[in-house]
Amino acid sequence: MPDPASSRPNWADDEEFDDPSVLPPQQVINNPDGTKTVITYRFNDNGKKVKTTRKIRTTIVKEHVNPRVAERKEWAKFGAEKGHSRGPDLSTTSVGENITFRPSTNWKTTSKEDNAEESKLKDQLKDKKVTCRICRGDHFTARCPFKDTLPPLDDAAAPGAEESPAADGAGATGAIGGSGGGSYVAPHLRGKKGAGESMPGSGSYKDRDDLATLRVTNVSELAEEGDLRDMFERFGRVTRVFLAKDRDTGRAKGFAFISYVDRSDAARACERMDGFGFKHLILRVEFAKRS
Amino acid sequence: MRPILLQGHERSLTQIKYGHSFWGLEFGDLLFSTAKDHVVCAWYSVNGERVGTYNGHVGALWTVDIDPTTTILATGGADNTIRLWDVRAGKQLKMWEFPTAVKRVEFSEDGTLLLAVTEQRMGHLGTVVVFPITVDVEAEQVDDPSFTITFRESKATVAAWGYLNKYIITGHEDGRVSQYDGKTGELIRDVQAHELDMQITDIDMAPDRTYFITCSKDKTAKILDVNELKVLKTYVTDTPLNTAALTPKKDFIILGGGQEARDVTTTSQRQGKFEARFYHKIFEDEIGRVKGHFGPLNTIAVHPRGVGYASGGEDGYVRVHHFDRQYFDFAYEVEKMKG
Repeated sequence: MPDPASSRPNWADDEEFDDPSVLPPQQVINNPDGTKTVITYRFNDNGKKVKTTRKIRTTIVKEHVNPRVAERKEWAKFGAEKGHSRGPDLSTTSVGENITFRPSTNWKTTSKEDNAEESKLKDQLKDKKVTCRICRGDHFTARCPFKDTLPPLDDAAAPGAEESPAADGAGATGAIGGSGGGSYVAPHLRGKKGAGESMPGSGSYKDRDDLATLRVTNVSELAEEGDLRDMFERFGRVTRVFLAKDRDTGRAKGFAFISYVDRSDAARACERMDGFGFKHLILRVEFAKRS
Repeated sequence: MRPILLQGHERSLTQIKYGHSFWGLEFGDLLFSTAKDHVVCAWYSVNGERVGTYNGHVGALWTVDIDPTTTILATGGADNTIRLWDVRAGKQLKMWEFPTAVKRVEFSEDGTLLLAVTEQRMGHLGTVVVFPITVDVEAEQVDDPSFTITFRESKATVAAWGYLNKYIITGHEDGRVSQYDGKTGELIRDVQAHELDMQITDIDMAPDRTYFITCSKDKTAKILDVNELKVLKTYVTDTPLNTAALTPKKDFIILGGGQEARDVTTTSQRQGKFEARFYHKIFEDEIGRVKGHFGPLNTIAVHPRGVGYASGGEDGYVRVHHFDRQYFDFAYEVEKMKG
């Protein structure tokens, strides 16, 4: 005698385990904030099952149109579209990539700069001519009449010129030291000032006196720059408070920098504030290191 | 803005038209496109849905126009015919045959007259013919044109009606712009508006039909007034132009072009200059470009309410754009002061 309860599907026979080739049906969840979550499944090119979760907000825009326009909206389709249902057909209509179009009065000047680089390269290459590596003639190396008889000129000259690359290298780094080089130089090789220093142009930012700057870590997420300023101003004049914040949530990331005018104030603050309890967390304060 | 791509055509686009404005009511809800693949397509401009196709032509199509009440559609093409269609049903109403291809058709402001430009070929001279039209799908249309303008020197490539059907303006292969009487077809005025022997490729009338824009292979576009054919504005670009359009609501113009279709394969997309260029109508400055097409732009049409535009290219795509806020907010400092 079959028990009515046993005819119900067992929880263990969930569709997941039934047949791997069958896709679960599409799920639509109505969220309380008025949005819809649509979960669909499909197989990708590698035969793997892919779950796609889309959150959709439907906005209804009402528009008043002329009755003639409204009437045309209801037209039955004709020609090649005859019998097709309403709504755009994916085979003829698709949506392109987003284009930012911002009209501006100085459009010409901004776009010219883009082309400047390109034209410079072109100018450089304009005077370049084909030279043969073997005889320095006006043809490709492969076409050289002396191809099989002479070794390339560079090879012949190589033993004598061995010293020069090294000397060139030294000269190059020297030139870069004077910031005259055109090519890329790694930051730590720039200038004579040593690590962490960058191009002279940005000096005002980088040369800031780090000697009187404290690094504060283990700052609460809920902290505000104002709170920190209030706390640290007790020890002397604070020139800058920087609290790192998450770009998306706007909450503090957990560390901050405090700059003082006077290093002695900073030292005092460092001593007193290290281990200070702030919003349920114990602050750690130390002098900021140059990185 | 996110353009809508319409892929109803298999060959390069030749002309796009929005449904016209009628007695000051601006519609623009329908979009009609012709291409070299013999089919005319009708679309809803708002979402890019294809309403239908008009099948019957047996040659490449060059031109399309719609009467102001959106009742009758006229098309012309390389099968040497002009055909009238019932817009709603897609049914052919009338066909006129010519000895040569039809390059341009246009309804007059009130929809009662239709002009057509025919090609000069095989000993036949280029002409402009004018037919009276009865704007009714049931009505019988006349068989013969009310008059014909024949060009003995240089053939016309484009033509348009002036205000109140008073004039017919034609653009010619040699860069001239001519003004003909709209009732009799007599030549009134003749101006060498563009460089000599540089073909005029497009003409677009302002909404009130008192001035118009022409563009040419000489890389310029010009605004001329209908009465005197005086050049009011000149826009200089760096590429041969195929199409020009005036935008309502904002004082802009849109130009489209790119190098010759036959040279496209030898140059990169970037050098090809396949962008829609926006110029300020009054200050003659370029204010921006819109990219997207893979080939030269053959035709541009602006929504009669100025809320968007559609461009058709040699690449076979129609791209329908709806303008963003930035487009409407943009104004020169002087313009802001005025308001």
